[in-house]
Amino acid sequence: MSPLYAEKFRIPKHLEIADGAVVPSPVGEQPMMKTGNWRIERPVIDHEKCTTCLNCFIFCPDGCWHLDPKSEKMVWDAIYCKGCRICVEECPADALRLENELNFKGGVARLDKPY
Amino acid sequence: MADVFEITIWCRGVTQDMEGRHLSLVLANGAAKGGKFVQAWDNYADLPDRVQVPLRKYDRISDEEIEMRYLYENDHPQLVLVMDDTIIKGIDILRGMPKGGALVVNTKRSADEILSLIPNKDLLSSLTLVDATGIAGGTGLESVDFMGSEGGVEAVSVAVGLAAPLAGAASKVCDKFTLDNLVASAANKAGVKEGAKTAVVKTL
Repeated sequence: MSPLYAEKFRIPKHLEIADGAVVPSPVGEQPMMKTGNWRIERPVIDHEKCTTCLNCFIFCPDGCWHLDPKSEKMVWDAIYCKGCRICVEECPADALRLENELNFKGGVARLDKPY
Repeated sequence: MADVFEITIWCRGVTQDMEGRHLSLVLANGAAKGGKFVQAWDNYADLPDRVQVPLRKYDRISDEEIEMRYLYENDHPQLVLVMDDTIIKGIDILRGMPKGGALVVNTKRSADEILSLIPNKDLLSSLTLVDATGIAGGTGLESVDFMGSEGGVEAVSVAVGLAAPLAGAASKVCDKFTLDNLVASAANKAGVKEGAKTAVVKTL
């Protein structure tokens, strides 16, 4: 364990584990695993119909839907959404529809060196 | 070593895997019929077996024997073929291309719309658009079948779907193979001819 962690957590010397075993858990976005470039069609939300039941949040395999606490609306992540269409299938309020990716200017998840 | 002409094909994983491979085989067979030395092979660097992941197929064409036997990626493709236009938005498809390369895209969209998605478009000397999906039929994303998905021995029924019109379009911008030789190599002969007829070449 690095001295920094040992000091922070005040672990007794005899309980310390070897260097390299403790890694910080990823809390932000993963810059090397952008999967937005897999997308052919993207889900487009109709906030009028959306009941914020959070089905899309629950079913999304990539965690691309979250509820914005300020506006209380669902927010979609263009960089990691693969366009798998699961959210569109699971939406009970019929608030999501699919549209071709090239109809939109934004949401480019381009990798300079793929993989 | 003689000049080696490099071709990279971009397609979608699983759904376009077979047609992408067939396109690389048809272009190689067409060039070989014209007396060139060729190599055609599948992706090794990409994720091959996930649905709709962008992946690559490669070709090399040369007048002399190709000595790059163990290099399995084309670092400097002079011709890039894209089987699905949305790939352009996600990937730097022209990476490594020397100035004056050619791009062939399967799309219904206009040349300006496609060019607006390419940040390094000054590398291109020509952009060729062909509606291969419309010519081949279907959505362009259903695989014709999964026969010989490991490469195997494929020589007879090669290029029945999307690959045929794209091969025809490629013959308009690349002098390494003739249209007649491509027609002779492909199963969907009408598709190759239709692709060559309807492809729109825009010189940049």
